[in-house]
Amino acid sequence: MIDRLIQFAAACRAADLRVSTAELIDCHQHLQCVDLVDEARFKTVLRANFAKSRRDQAAFDRVYDLFFHGPGAGEDESPQQMDAEAVADLFSRAGIGGDDLDAALLDFVTGDPASFLQVLQDLDQQADASSASGVKSNLGQLAGRMQVMLRINAIQRGLARLPDGTGQAPAAASISRRLDQARGLLTRENRPYNDGLRQVRSHHKHYQGLGEQPFSSLTPAEIEQMRDVIQQLVRKLRDRMGRRFAASRRGGLDVRKTLRRAGRFQGVPLVLSYRRRPLRKTRIVALCDVSGSVWSAARFMLHLLYSLQDCFSSVHSFAFVSGTTDITEIFAHNEVNCALEKVLASPDIGFDALTDYGEVFYEFRQHHMHRINRKTTVIIVGDGRSNYQHPRESILAEIREKARRIIWLNPEPEAFWGTGDSEMHTYKAHCHEVRTCQNLNQLIDFIEELVL
Amino acid sequence: MEFESIEDVTCRLERAGYIPSREIATVVFLAAATQKPILVEGPAGGGKTELARAVARCLGRDKIRLQCYEGLDEAKALYEWEYAKQLLYTQMIKEKINDLIAGADSIAEAVERIAEQEDAFFSERFILARPLLQAISSDKPVVLLIDEIDKADPEFEAFLLELLSEFQVSIPELGIRKARHIPMVVLTSNNYRDMSDALKRRCIHLYIDYPEPELEKRIIRLKLPGIDEALADRLVCAVNHIRELDMKKRPCISETLDWAQALMVLNIGELSCQAVSDTLNVICKYRADAQLVRQSMDKVLSAK
Repeated sequence: MIDRLIQFAAACRAADLRVSTAELIDCHQHLQCVDLVDEARFKTVLRANFAKSRRDQAAFDRVYDLFFHGPGAGEDESPQQMDAEAVADLFSRAGIGGDDLDAALLDFVTGDPASFLQVLQDLDQQADASSASGVKSNLGQLAGRMQVMLRINAIQRGLARLPDGTGQAPAAASISRRLDQARGLLTRENRPYNDGLRQVRSHHKHYQGLGEQPFSSLTPAEIEQMRDVIQQLVRKLRDRMGRRFAASRRGGLDVRKTLRRAGRFQGVPLVLSYRRRPLRKTRIVALCDVSGSVWSAARFMLHLLYSLQDCFSSVHSFAFVSGTTDITEIFAHNEVNCALEKVLASPDIGFDALTDYGEVFYEFRQHHMHRINRKTTVIIVGDGRSNYQHPRESILAEIREKARRIIWLNPEPEAFWGTGDSEMHTYKAHCHEVRTCQNLNQLIDFIEELVL
Repeated sequence: MEFESIEDVTCRLERAGYIPSREIATVVFLAAATQKPILVEGPAGGGKTELARAVARCLGRDKIRLQCYEGLDEAKALYEWEYAKQLLYTQMIKEKINDLIAGADSIAEAVERIAEQEDAFFSERFILARPLLQAISSDKPVVLLIDEIDKADPEFEAFLLELLSEFQVSIPELGIRKARHIPMVVLTSNNYRDMSDALKRRCIHLYIDYPEPELEKRIIRLKLPGIDEALADRLVCAVNHIRELDMKKRPCISETLDWAQALMVLNIGELSCQAVSDTLNVICKYRADAQLVRQSMDKVLSAK
């Protein structure tokens, strides 16, 4: 029993669940308390100990099914262990065999999935390798998958064409089932379950007219007007912020001050005074897509963030198109509008290049990951359109592990998410909050929530 | 009073007015048997807090509740010295203190004499016990509910670790306080943020999802005994369908109950388009959601 449990824990760890030895011990202890005849109960015990958040539960269920119900579970009592030679014979009679892929599939059918899984792993990594050489696309990966899939189909057809009557029909059927499983593995796409995601759809109408107009269709005159509106808003927010913190800053008793005051009343401490607690402010890291259509939203976001800089303990911002540039300095030393001009004129950003979110995240991880800690809120402004390149959402998942929150502002209406080259739904799975941010009213909503 | 088996948990919780799923019963039993805290997650209104209440009722224990919020600190959760009372006492016994140091030759000696009495000032008398200290120093075993732990700061979470694993707290002036009886601890979270691994490791995890239709019907019948069977069935079907819509806030079991009650009060025995439309505010907490339901009214009403 304990051996099986340890094996299962190892399988869970391989699936990125964090299972500690202490949990293993607890689980073992719990299993002795319950009647194990009932499988649902057994699963509940394991799940309560091994999967400790909603997002982990999906992964846990998958591992559980694979481990206890999948092929290879309980090796010795598996209904029909296929005879490797017989299958090889069938394959060769159907005119299949020869190269490595066939051999891998043959192994998979006869119960040794290692080489086929290796093929899949190679396919997955292909995209990463090609991006280093400068040509970036996941077409190679797709083509590779397609090839494997076609081969599986060919084998199934070949087996079906074999003359019947030698009594291999049941064997062929079970081979076919195994091949279906192989195809399932090939086409499966993993997307983590994200229960904590908050999706904000509605907004208050703070300002009529200007407030509702999409950023992308503002005229220069309206942009000027917008500046005034933003200034006014900033003042209002600062006011509210100040009042709010004053109320919640009471700390423990300040003995010295109390005694000093007591002097006035012949040593009777009539008035107690308290220490004031330092403010806890958020650290902000903003990643702004500044390519064509998205820039208009990003600029207002940056404008607001920097006007409210004293409400946060630090604001770091990066602009990107295909590579990231740290624009914190530019904003620190220039007046906001001037800074915006400078960012646009900066040569590093590469306006002509195509947006590549995968590359941006990769660069961010290489150089700026240390800026992220438990107090950091990461704000990403962008449409998630990666021009069909590798999205590398795993890096976003890594950021999520370290940051307090990830908020994604998308200047596109929600109906367009996931259409064409938009990877929004891929990224959404790793964010704490996603919002559309098309016009001033939506932006104001967001900023108010962030600050207050 | 302890639970004997999982069936016993189910049975007693039901008597206390809470119908648990098998998973809930199993986890509650395990937690009680091994004295571990339960970390309950799930959508708002799913009965997380109610579970703690029901457990307290059926174990016949008192429930102590600590509501978490941003900025919650030790002084509000564990204990605080009652400074005002201490100062007041000092004033009142001033004479006594003068007597005490009357014969002292030097200041040092006077200080020494007062120091001997220090314990009188830092004693139980002047401690204001907050929920956590109350829970572990209570004479009888209690159920401690730490509600919405995700709203508290990460620092507070770290501070809870000592309590949850050792069932003791350290008060610098008094030393370590061990729990007289180990409380049954229930933590609830709405997934506002992820809990730290250290905290998760110490707890048994339970996710309370939207209930199965059968279970939901039983809950409605239990909470609203007078309800018409047919209406309850239709209601559960409709709510289950509404949950599938892309809403901002999906109706949970508490909303279903509110809705059923509203319909009963209004004496509506049949779910009609008009009836649903009139009472929609009970289950939809956003205008956009209400609109969404109105749009797919046909499907909601015909849901089986």
